[in-house]
Amino acid sequence: MALPGLLFLLVFAYLPMVGHVIAFKKFSVSKGIWGSEWNGFNNFKFFFGSDDWIRVTLNTIGLNALFLVFGLGLAVILSIALNEIHARLFKKLAQSIIFLPYFVSWLVVSLMVFGLLNSTNGMINHELQSLHIGAIDWYSTPAYWPVILTVISIWKFAGYNSIIFLAAISGISDELYESARIDGANRLQQIFYITFPLLRPTLVILTLLAVGRIFYGDFGMIYGIVGENSLLYPTTDVIDTFTFRALRGLGDFGMASSVALYQSIMGLLTILLFNGLVKKYDPESRLF
Amino acid sequence: MQRRSKTSIGDRLVNGSAYAIATLFALFCLIPFWMVIIGSFTDESSLRAEGFKLIPSKLSLYAYEFLLRGGQVYRSYLVTIETTVIGTLAAVLISAMFAYVLAHRKIKYKNALSFLTYFTMLFGSGLVGFYILVVNWLHLKDTLWALILPYLLNPFNTFVLVSFFRTVPYELNEAATVDGSGEWRTFFRIILPITTPVLATTTLLYALQYWNDWWLALLFVDDYTLHPLQIMIRQLISNMNAAAYIQGASTGQLQQIPAYGVQLATVCVTIGPIVLLYPFLQRYFVKGLTIGSVKG
Repeated sequence: MALPGLLFLLVFAYLPMVGHVIAFKKFSVSKGIWGSEWNGFNNFKFFFGSDDWIRVTLNTIGLNALFLVFGLGLAVILSIALNEIHARLFKKLAQSIIFLPYFVSWLVVSLMVFGLLNSTNGMINHELQSLHIGAIDWYSTPAYWPVILTVISIWKFAGYNSIIFLAAISGISDELYESARIDGANRLQQIFYITFPLLRPTLVILTLLAVGRIFYGDFGMIYGIVGENSLLYPTTDVIDTFTFRALRGLGDFGMASSVALYQSIMGLLTILLFNGLVKKYDPESRLF
Repeated sequence: MQRRSKTSIGDRLVNGSAYAIATLFALFCLIPFWMVIIGSFTDESSLRAEGFKLIPSKLSLYAYEFLLRGGQVYRSYLVTIETTVIGTLAAVLISAMFAYVLAHRKIKYKNALSFLTYFTMLFGSGLVGFYILVVNWLHLKDTLWALILPYLLNPFNTFVLVSFFRTVPYELNEAATVDGSGEWRTFFRIILPITTPVLATTTLLYALQYWNDWWLALLFVDDYTLHPLQIMIRQLISNMNAAAYIQGASTGQLQQIPAYGVQLATVCVTIGPIVLLYPFLQRYFVKGLTIGSVKG
């Protein structure tokens, strides 16, 4: 019964790992993987010799860290706010609305962003002009983009994450709140001394999952929204978009796969490192 | 009564902030949707002159007329529906069968299988190997299979299923075996029917993934007759020759194209089914998330 699944894993997850060999080859499509000549570490030299690798690595980690901190932070606040709301209908409606962005693709998001930000008839620039601030050329100013992308990430995922937190909150026993009320704790105190501490394990798990993927940029997001706009590469180009362009744009299989191998190894090391740290300090929350 | 009114100033503040935060964030989430939907019904010339607005000055259905008169939107819809339906059904079946084995008490090699599955989440195979696999080894470029096969088993969804299957009492299994039911029969007749909530969630997760995917099509599909809806949006954003693309080569006469309007209308047509089905589907997602957040 496990056969189709196992077959899938072998073919689509393990067989492509052979592709990592290309990182050490002077790859040509006609000769295939095994026919191509060995190339030592030249592909890596090419990647690490340029400034690109620092830029894409820092962008990947930096953007993911921003998404993680602000995304989860806001989701916690949202879930606590939703939990404090007792009007059933309002709560349900708000929950439905904030969950909605999770359901649309990055290309749809990219069009929304374009409608808001483009320089000729974007909504935000129109508002800025009517306030006599003057239009801002968002799509050619890289400095704004870490902020813009963080806002977009919050827009898309905060609702989703807040529902996970809300589920954790609803698992907290009512007796705790009751006895706190009897002891005279007000609602703010209940939030800080009961709700928040009991959310911590969920927060730790979500953080760990995100940290484990810190070397993987969100290709759909970045490539969907920024695309091939090279003006914005200084702050938005991540490992995944870089590899994609090396492969499909330049057709440079060797460099693309050396970057992919670098990413896979760094990803594995990070997750082992963090899981090790968590095992040491908070064994309950470890991933494996 | 006395005590309640005494403590209520701080509590009322908490209450007020809770409503304020939820309302503001909900508006923040809603505005882009409203902008796109109302924009698709806005007259193209006023879109160009006044830009994107929340309350447009002149409404028009021309963008939809233009879009629906061409052939591409129907082709793309068909591609998206085909991949979503075939992919989701196959993925749910394969994942459920795999998860059933991983959760089975009597199977000795299940830990090895679990590890094999988990390891794929830790160590990526890399884009290049994947690309060569699909294009050069399996020869799936410009086929529907390239959009379906790579998503048939998602490790995360599988582990959600595993943790749910584990909650099914094993006695059910034993009773079925005693009554002479084989593993297949037990799985399809007993296990699947009582795990419908988690199956519904898994189905939705896979369906959403197939419906919203454009990465696979971007990598493997150049043939425009195989463009899913998502790629159609992308083509409309980046393609200079959008009119010919929408209308198809067969229609000779090219009209003035409402470029923005058509993009927005295509987006609305694409997210339409999701937004319409959303109220009915949402609770399954919430349920699935809740199961998924419990460590399996």
